[in-house]
Amino acid sequence: MRQPVMPIRSPFESSIAKPGQGNVVLSLLPPNNPTLTTLTYKYPLKLVPRAPGFVPTPDPAALSDSCPSRPVHLYLLTYGGGLLPGDHIEVSIKLEPKTRMVVTTPQGSTKIFKTEDNGVSVIKGHRKKMPANDHLSDMSQQSLDVRIGRQSALCYLPDPSVPYQNSRYAQVQTFTVDAAARGEQRSSLCVLDWVTQGRTSRGENWNFRFWKGRNEVWAADEKTGKSRLLLRDSVILDDEQEDELATDESDDDHEDSSHGLNPQPDGGDVPPQAQAGLLPLNVIQERTRPHGVVGTLILSGPVFDKLGSFLIEQFTSQPRIGSRNWSSSATSSAPEDSATARGDVTWTAARVRAGFVLVKFGAKDFETAKHWLGGLLREEGSIVREFGEEALFCL
Amino acid sequence: MLFEDRPQDLESEIAQLEARLHDMRAQLDISTYPTPPSSHPDKSWTMPYTNNNKTTNNTTTTTSKKEQLFRPSSVRASSLHALLLLSDSALPLGSFAYSSGLESYLAHNKPSRRTNPVTSFHHFLKLSIASIASTSLPYVLAGYRRPETLDTLDNDLDASTPCIVAQRASVAQGRALIGVWERAFRVSFATPEQTSSSSDAGVTTAIKAIDEFSSALKSSFEDVDEYDLGPRGHFAPLWGVACRAMGLDLQQTAYTFVLNHAKAVLSAAVRASVMGPYQAQNILASQSLQDTIMGRIEREWNTEPEEAGQVVPALDLWVGRHELLYSRIFNS
Repeated sequence: MRQPVMPIRSPFESSIAKPGQGNVVLSLLPPNNPTLTTLTYKYPLKLVPRAPGFVPTPDPAALSDSCPSRPVHLYLLTYGGGLLPGDHIEVSIKLEPKTRMVVTTPQGSTKIFKTEDNGVSVIKGHRKKMPANDHLSDMSQQSLDVRIGRQSALCYLPDPSVPYQNSRYAQVQTFTVDAAARGEQRSSLCVLDWVTQGRTSRGENWNFRFWKGRNEVWAADEKTGKSRLLLRDSVILDDEQEDELATDESDDDHEDSSHGLNPQPDGGDVPPQAQAGLLPLNVIQERTRPHGVVGTLILSGPVFDKLGSFLIEQFTSQPRIGSRNWSSSATSSAPEDSATARGDVTWTAARVRAGFVLVKFGAKDFETAKHWLGGLLREEGSIVREFGEEALFCL
Repeated sequence: MLFEDRPQDLESEIAQLEARLHDMRAQLDISTYPTPPSSHPDKSWTMPYTNNNKTTNNTTTTTSKKEQLFRPSSVRASSLHALLLLSDSALPLGSFAYSSGLESYLAHNKPSRRTNPVTSFHHFLKLSIASIASTSLPYVLAGYRRPETLDTLDNDLDASTPCIVAQRASVAQGRALIGVWERAFRVSFATPEQTSSSSDAGVTTAIKAIDEFSSALKSSFEDVDEYDLGPRGHFAPLWGVACRAMGLDLQQTAYTFVLNHAKAVLSAAVRASVMGPYQAQNILASQSLQDTIMGRIEREWNTEPEEAGQVVPALDLWVGRHELLYSRIFNS
């Protein structure tokens, strides 16, 4: 493995970082040499950079001026490969103009370990339970803040988040692009955020307490200091079971005890696969059904324009739903199954504002989603072309 | 129908219903939300702005009930008139054109022998209400509480709406609401007497906010700039601001917003032949629907717009895939 050009400052000198904090700055030093000018991190976070030998083939049509620089890989690691209750990971990355970065999670899925009932984490026993803000103290949190300069690109295709039973997790990922850049100068980003039902091997099926993933893209103008929200994608999966026993009779109960809006959980509307368990569906299962994994892919900027158009085209060329009633049996719950042989994936793609392409998907399980998405991205090819096969490491 | 040959039954039924209606109106006037559950000890149903006429209402309603006298002043002082206007299904917002994903949901979840379409619909309605409350209601509340931030709320909601289908529906209804306000309501609700008689200073701010937003909307061109998009006219924040301008209180604003959504979904269900009109009214009138709506409002009461998010990921997929339906009767 080739090491990248060493940062100017030692990565170990900084003692400013708080636990779980990391800070990365990628600059393009002349003539065309991407260099990590800052790289600091602190336990339980670990950031490992790597400059692969891969050099993107310059687009023949592009001017030599806009020739892309070598992408630098950054591996996002945590000790133990997951997050314990109370862990706060805070990563801040700055991509200076004309740089490219690939961020992946080489440890596999981000495991969100469960919240212990006694509120004290087994491994990190020093953490005391704080009853007053129990919600916050035992929640694992991760925040990623990436500033993407003009003509630079981020490719962030991590493994999914796997929340274990009874876990709580909140994640905020903020991406800031240069508001003054236009056309080919724009910042580019490709971000995948997905969450699974848990460890299926252990029978987990959306049994966690809380998972929240928020992705925001802001356009910031350095001159004026103004910033504007371009895109916000926020998913909240909350089992809505409050902690305190005293409040068990709260708002959820209104719903659950009412007759009209609540068909019996084992009643007629439950699809066969869910009915097999005969257990009442929890709130999260009800709202994600029939999927075992849900996710979002966000694309923007000149580097991913082609990929975005490709995905839109793929989406709109799916067979019309309900147009083949005579050929397939009426019991099919996934109307598109025959055409693309991807009946287990339900997805939608839209070109929303500011040139963003937003893909949302739900799939039967992790493997299905991985093969489907990996297949689409490889088929189109621009990620491999621009960032190398390794960018698709997690897919 | 059922009572065709028994007029006396009908009459007693009518009398009962009227009495009930009267009671409920009285309750509505003096209603406040239940105390917040202790699960949110730090949060309460705070009302940043005091309700202008709750106290007067309260007393006049009780006395008029005692004396059995009609007090026009009590109706005038309350926001009843505005409330009825805004909850009218004839309000020309074009809401009937949207099924909020119901049509797509039905196509994706084909009723089989084991499933009853009405049960399946109940499931959808519950998800739909939870979803509208988690994604849009915070913008309604913020629009009401801070009308001057309408621009930002509109931009942020536009940024947060993940699919074109839902965006179109929201923008069309929002712009229609501006249209109704300008062509019909403004002349009666934004008069100097009206605004000066109101003790809520927010009314003036709200009127100003809609006016400014509307003129910005008219002078802007589609996609002014890649990153600096002009005003869009999303429904939720405008609803909050318009209700403020018309003198509704925050509870009424939130409740009518979610109830109107439920009405639109039910009306779509009737037209999609899921159920008949009486069954739809039955659900609409049911205690369970009221409880669901209350529960969801209570849950999102203190949710700031930036914390809003989709709680039903599957719904985004159904709405987004509406475009793929072979035949459609709704726009969303």
